[in-house]
Amino acid sequence: MNIDNIEMNEVLPAVFAAQGAPGSEIWCRNVAFERGHSYLVSAQSGTGKSSLCSYMYGYRSDYSGRISFSGIDIATLGISQWCELRCRHLAYLPQEMRLFPELSAIENVELKNRLTGHRNRSEIEQMFERLGIQDKINQPVAYLSIGQQQRVAIIRALCQPFDFILLDEPVSHLDESNNHLAAKLVSEEAKRQGAGIIATSVGNNVMITVDKEYKL
Amino acid sequence: MSKTHSPNNLLWRLLRKHVSAGQLLGFSVASLIGLVIVLLALQFYSDVKPMLSSDDSFMRRDYIILTKTVSGFGALLGSNADFSDDELDDLSKQPWVRKVGQFTTPQYRIYGSLTFGNRALRTYLFYESVPDEFIDELPDRWGFDPAEGKVPVIVSRDYLSLYNFGFAATRNMPQVSEGMIGMIPVQLTLSGNGRSETVEGRIVGFSNRLNTIIVPEQFMQWSNERFGSDEKRQPSRLIVEVSSPGDKAISEYTKAHGYEIAGDKADSGKASYMLRILTGIIATIGGIISLLAFFVLILSISLLMQRNSRKLQDLLMLGYTPAQVSAPYVKMIVATNAVILILGCAATLICRSLYMPTLLSLGSTGGGLLMPIATAVAIMAAITTGSIFSIRRRVSSLWKA
Repeated sequence: MNIDNIEMNEVLPAVFAAQGAPGSEIWCRNVAFERGHSYLVSAQSGTGKSSLCSYMYGYRSDYSGRISFSGIDIATLGISQWCELRCRHLAYLPQEMRLFPELSAIENVELKNRLTGHRNRSEIEQMFERLGIQDKINQPVAYLSIGQQQRVAIIRALCQPFDFILLDEPVSHLDESNNHLAAKLVSEEAKRQGAGIIATSVGNNVMITVDKEYKL
Repeated sequence: MSKTHSPNNLLWRLLRKHVSAGQLLGFSVASLIGLVIVLLALQFYSDVKPMLSSDDSFMRRDYIILTKTVSGFGALLGSNADFSDDELDDLSKQPWVRKVGQFTTPQYRIYGSLTFGNRALRTYLFYESVPDEFIDELPDRWGFDPAEGKVPVIVSRDYLSLYNFGFAATRNMPQVSEGMIGMIPVQLTLSGNGRSETVEGRIVGFSNRLNTIIVPEQFMQWSNERFGSDEKRQPSRLIVEVSSPGDKAISEYTKAHGYEIAGDKADSGKASYMLRILTGIIATIGGIISLLAFFVLILSISLLMQRNSRKLQDLLMLGYTPAQVSAPYVKMIVATNAVILILGCAATLICRSLYMPTLLSLGSTGGGLLMPIATAVAIMAAITTGSIFSIRRRVSSLWKA
């Protein structure tokens, strides 16, 4: 199932049910994200930025309203369909990265790539090089800085074909030059696949060209 | 450059953390003990079973001999120890009764003398008759013709042993074999009804079942007509073919009616019954141990999954299916249980080889291995399936945060 667009109709996290979400351009609105375009969702802490990503990625469903992929309500999708989406159509970089600290950087990436078979070894090494962490490739993730871990997580997220990529604060711990390198890598990859980008940020915006910015 | 890893290897490296060798070992040992107990009980039963069902075995007892209980005073007061027609009728209607045979007793006196060499044994004798179908080993020359006057006799095999190993040994008499004794004539002097006659008896067979001296029914009829009074006598001893020896109904019935089952052989039917119960109890204990082991495993799995829940969730986030994520644990359980199954079967076979010589010498032909092994496979398959189900269920419960 290809995701040509992601539509959100009157979506509101259950925790906001009482007070609503005044001023939000996403919650309780009808919003559509189109494939091939880039979006930035800027937010303040506590406005439900990570919730938005987890709803779209299918591991939380504590909301009212309707989210649909190419017109299909995602609440109706089964486990196997979600697994297929996560391997082939929807890439995700969680804010907390969710790397396995006891595995090395390359093993973390391999864990995803072996599942999708999307990249060969030299392509992966090239990405490490482009992001300036080629010397960390065999280091256990536990010994990497948060910024380095963020880059490993970005590489891992790119080890699959995707129609959309969700980036939850992808560059919060990157300096400007590394932000630039990461943004360039993601944009290139999205463009190559004709995919859409949805990035969130509380301040340190990823340096991609966005087609539309929403305030959460 | 780094060595490459298959995703399965990587998964196992991630998920083996918190796998408790102690818990796994605890389960394995408990499960192995339970399995071996169940298996051994079933194997032993299946090895002993041929002894229970063969016709000539000591365990099986198709016939019981019934008498009325004779109390000291009852006998003096002349209470009747004979079975009435009503009582016989009621007995033959019992569901556990196949056939009832009556012992007929002589109504005259018998004086017997047995001569071999220059020595002789002389004594008052007693014999009985039963219908031919109740005699276990019917000899060729069985029956009686008044014109010939020769009487075939069957005696209990116990009597021969008693003579050979008791009497002959202490009195310096020759020991005799079964074949030899048939050649020795026994003079039977019958007297009653104002007459006295001598007929020639010959021991033609031995019985394991009938603990008495038996003559053919035709002879008994003839001699009673000739030497006895005319009145019809009711039988005081009965031989009963029963459908299931050791049936509780038999002892209940005989107790209620004041009958006695003669001979300790009546108890042997109970031996098979007891064996079955004992096997059942032991197998149940083994089953309970296996069940407890299974719960240890389930608990251990649930603890393991709980400790690794974050990792399992992260793997699901990457797009791994619950089946893929469960696979390392499923493999671990299957491998462990396969080892337990093999060890359990091996241990059972080793134990069997220890007791089998004894059983063979007792006349068992040995039972099949199929049923116990099939049971073992079924038990371990059930434990494995249950565990896999538990693993899958727990992984699926991690699907949503």
